[in-house]
Amino acid sequence: MIDFKNITLQVRQQTLLDGTTLHIADGEKVVVRGASGCGKSSLLKSTVGAIPLATGSVCADGVELSPETVSDIRARIAFIGQEPVLGAEHVRDAILLPFTFKVHSANPPGEDRILELLERLHLPSAILEKPCKRISGGEKQRIAILRALLLDKTIFLADEVTSALDPESRAAVMTELFRPDITLLSVSHDPEWIAACDRTVEIQNTKLQEISRQGAQKTQEKQVLSSLRSFAANKTRRDGHDC
Amino acid sequence: MTADLSIPAMLSMYALMLVPLAVFFYLQLGIIRDTLLAMARMTVQLLLVGLYLKYIFQLNNPLVSLLWVTVMLVVANLSILNKAGLKRDLFFWRSLAGVAGSTLLVSGWFILVAIRPDPIYDARYMVPIVGMILGNCLRSNVLSLERFYSGIRRNENEFMTYLLLGATLREAVRPYLRDAIKAAVNPSVATMATMGIVSLPGMMTGQILGGACRPPPLNTRSAS
Repeated sequence: MIDFKNITLQVRQQTLLDGTTLHIADGEKVVVRGASGCGKSSLLKSTVGAIPLATGSVCADGVELSPETVSDIRARIAFIGQEPVLGAEHVRDAILLPFTFKVHSANPPGEDRILELLERLHLPSAILEKPCKRISGGEKQRIAILRALLLDKTIFLADEVTSALDPESRAAVMTELFRPDITLLSVSHDPEWIAACDRTVEIQNTKLQEISRQGAQKTQEKQVLSSLRSFAANKTRRDGHDC
Repeated sequence: MTADLSIPAMLSMYALMLVPLAVFFYLQLGIIRDTLLAMARMTVQLLLVGLYLKYIFQLNNPLVSLLWVTVMLVVANLSILNKAGLKRDLFFWRSLAGVAGSTLLVSGWFILVAIRPDPIYDARYMVPIVGMILGNCLRSNVLSLERFYSGIRRNENEFMTYLLLGATLREAVRPYLRDAIKAAVNPSVATMATMGIVSLPGMMTGQILGGACRPPPLNTRSAS
């Protein structure tokens, strides 16, 4: 859940958003649209305290962003930028980078989990040994997504993450990020991405407007589907134990 | 024995500075004003230094010497903050503690363990030793602080990525801290590695010229 209450965003003395309120429910997928430079990315960044709010408040999972809670909030939210910085020499080190920090150091991922995610995101396993400088923009985006998925986060902020992807890779990324348990706030110009989201909001003249809600029906359908899925998963697990 | 420089000789020494100044101008480094200012400060300080050091040495009063050492530390600290582009209000006490702590520890060792002058607070030892160590400290500090903050500024996206991946502030600055410290100690390590060939002969010749130790031929002559 993400809750923006009456926020004002100012970047370099320019007001990008003025008195904006937006509520995103658990599992909801929201896409923000608007002209370039209107504050879409800044809205995403403000959620994790990368851009300070001029006024108002933002809560993630009921925790209000403040200097005291910022590290807790960052631990809950995955932020994937337009041009992700991997922050290490080699891809493997970049993937394992968060696990060198104290918060995540207790649960480093196993090799098989990394390989499985690589496959799901249409990435060859040989990429692990490549220098980060030698991989393409689309590969960088998927490595950044993979890294976030390894951290088991449930809130994702995704800023044009499919901009450099071919249709198959895009589909693979969407399968991962549109899972029912993930709450997604995204920026995208991609029609398929926008169509897959539950709600589209647009920033116009420092105001945020809801321009389409794919109907309560779709959300309901999804909820039914997701409960069916989790029921099926539980059942399989139980059956497995019985054997 | 001192060599008296004539005024034209003095001016020609200043003229040597025209070479780096021309390079700064050609490369548009934007440090010409700072360099000229540093030259002017050096000139005034050197004009006065003979005067005030003479009195400080003559007085040889522990309080006066300590006061002078404090002035040196504060001036060095302000110069560090200024050159590294740090806010005075925010960093003054912290960086002063660092500069004073390390300088006093090392010069304390020199005075109390190595030289043991009598009286122990002898200004002729205290002031120059603190001065020499402080000078080194100043150089390394400016270098490392400047490198540290410019490293973060230049790699802001990378730094933000670390933070957003859950790094604490301490964890996120570690790569830049490592670079900065490396940059600061590298010249000292190089100096140490060539001590007997490059640095020491320079320093020792200065001391011999200043009369700290007479070279054998002079001794022989005065004995005869």
